[in-house]
Amino acid sequence: MGQSMGSFGARNVDLYMNDNPTFDPQTGFSFERKPREMKAREEDLISARIPPQFRDYCAHYLLDYQVCRYKNMPMLYKCAHEKHDYLNCEHQDYVLRMKEFERERRLRLREQRIVGAA
Amino acid sequence: MTSNLLKNAIIVKPHGVRKVAAILSNAVRNHWNYQYKPGPYPKTPEERVAAAKKYGLTIEEYQPYPEDMGYGDYPKLPDIGADSKDPHYPYDCPELKRNFNEPVHASAEIFGEDRYDPNLRPRFSLAHQWTWFLGVVGGSFALYFYLEDFKIGRPVACKQYPGNGPHYLFTPK
Repeated sequence: MGQSMGSFGARNVDLYMNDNPTFDPQTGFSFERKPREMKAREEDLISARIPPQFRDYCAHYLLDYQVCRYKNMPMLYKCAHEKHDYLNCEHQDYVLRMKEFERERRLRLREQRIVGAA
Repeated sequence: MTSNLLKNAIIVKPHGVRKVAAILSNAVRNHWNYQYKPGPYPKTPEERVAAAKKYGLTIEEYQPYPEDMGYGDYPKLPDIGADSKDPHYPYDCPELKRNFNEPVHASAEIFGEDRYDPNLRPRFSLAHQWTWFLGVVGGSFALYFYLEDFKIGRPVACKQYPGNGPHYLFTPK
């Protein structure tokens, strides 16, 4: 995916870091994509005082981790598994974002090809 | 110290008590002594001679500040920083590179070795300094404007939050 040059390879289609995807999420798929599911409830996140920037699709793991910390306060090593689960989820979230970026780049290139051919 | 002075003044010179009291009140209460004040600006040649004698200068050396500067008859001494004075000369006060009874410059506090020397020869010429300054700052700006078109970030789309619209995995339902 061109990590070493960052988003440099997407300059030619005017795509940069943290850009929003512009195409319909279902185009180009032979199947219907599974929607992401938010497992944590907003009220619980507010009650646990999780800051808004952490209320993403992994928030239920973060909630578990914080509850574990609260219960085992001085012995935080006991929450290693919860932390690992949370960080794994964030990693998968990041991979998904990279996939969305690459999909957006390829779709833009395809659009350019089609417009150029027509 | 004040009590000592008062005792001395009363016992040794009882007639000078009033004078000492005046000086003390001036120096202690007002933090200033009227004797520090220079005399009025010398207008006639006789006054100039008297002023030169007062500051221990010859009449050729003596030159007052312009009258509107308000320095009175205080002499205008050459601006020589302590750094430019001969370090090997046996001064009476080597710390200040000053001899006994040598008149003090009106801006003496800035000409000390720890402050400023107007005769200092700069290590680099002004053109040299400007060249380097403009080279570094201009070069930085040139690089900045040139690289403006080559912005690189990590190849990720924006962070997905449940609040802004449905998001999808890359797996079938």
